[in-house]
Amino acid sequence: MKHLRMFCIVALLSLAVGLSAQTAAPAAKPTPAPQAMASPKPAPTLSGAIDMQLNMLEKGFVDAAEAMPEDKYNFSPESLKIPGADYATVRTFAAEVKHVATANYFFWSSVTGDPMPASIKGPNGPEELKTKAEIVKFLKDSFALGHKAIGTLTTQNATEMVINVRGQQQTRIFAASFPVAHAFDHYGQMVEYLRMNGVVPPASRQQN
Amino acid sequence: MKLIFRFLPLAALLIFAVSGAFAQSGTPAPASAPTFSTVIDRQISSLEREFVSAAEAMPDDKFNFAPATLNIKGSEYKGVKTFALEVRHVAATNFAMWGAVAGEKPPMDLGGDDGPESLKTKAEIVKFLKDSFALGHRAAKSLTAENVLGTVPSPFGDSSTPTRLNLATGATAHAFDHYGQMVEYLRMNGIIPPASRPQK
Repeated sequence: MKHLRMFCIVALLSLAVGLSAQTAAPAAKPTPAPQAMASPKPAPTLSGAIDMQLNMLEKGFVDAAEAMPEDKYNFSPESLKIPGADYATVRTFAAEVKHVATANYFFWSSVTGDPMPASIKGPNGPEELKTKAEIVKFLKDSFALGHKAIGTLTTQNATEMVINVRGQQQTRIFAASFPVAHAFDHYGQMVEYLRMNGVVPPASRQQN
Repeated sequence: MKLIFRFLPLAALLIFAVSGAFAQSGTPAPASAPTFSTVIDRQISSLEREFVSAAEAMPDDKFNFAPATLNIKGSEYKGVKTFALEVRHVAATNFAMWGAVAGEKPPMDLGGDDGPESLKTKAEIVKFLKDSFALGHRAAKSLTAENVLGTVPSPFGDSSTPTRLNLATGATAHAFDHYGQMVEYLRMNGIIPPASRPQK
């Protein structure tokens, strides 16, 4: 296993998980993780551990959202009419970003107790958000709530139940950490949307 | 305000997985109290269902599909992974990360970024994937409130010392990233991902 070097993950392992962003090339050389160089290291905390994962996601996801040109923001693969493909009813790029931001609010508000934004009416978020700038701001604001939610986590309260706006109970650690996994799923789709438009995802670009 | 939140398939699946029978009613079920182990194990189970079904949904003769072959005008797919390599990469990463949590060595040389090159066929790669999830469950079962923030040596040979929690959950997040890409590969081939198909 001496050469299993996952793109980004190797360098960022202690920062939780890396964005693969689709590349065939392994990292040239693992970069020592920042916490490995710190001395003495503070003891890890639950909120700190999960917040590092959120930081990684946030960086990659926001960069990807910002990388799509404004005039392609409503791109859907269906418009490519790829022979034999099945892209009926899939989300546009804009809807992917709005959906993730909406899910972020849905889960993280149950942790913090903050109300959901009143403009959210469904899984794809506020319909009135149309421009790239508006949608990216909505996304960034949702991540800010995520940091607040994760900041409440302790090993003592992690498995306590919180209730979301649908009245469903979830453990606090699930509600705090699940949006990261959920967003990675959509991030992987957005990576494809970007490449379909000739945009290499920022996380996959060569480090200079 | 009528809220219709359907983060299907993933979110709803996981809500049900994690909060169990009382997810819909809001009434606690008489189940045992959740633990770090059970919460993370159920996340792995939910990922496993979606990821394995997606891997199995790609036909044998398309398993080495890469989007570059479509020659989409204006696209940039140079050097990206094939579908087979997406699966193999995730499985190898699972073995590395969850193995570090469980204290188990991988069953074979995991190779480089794309995993063991000896695995070529769909059957071989899917078995490797399933075995990695079996390890994931063992890793999850090893987690306790006392050890979840304990650190272990990096499974990638660098000098970092990640927590068991970050390894256990990081592997899941990593896999979802690639799952999202695989979903697109499936759709490019006219295959609706199993998790997105209408429920009967």
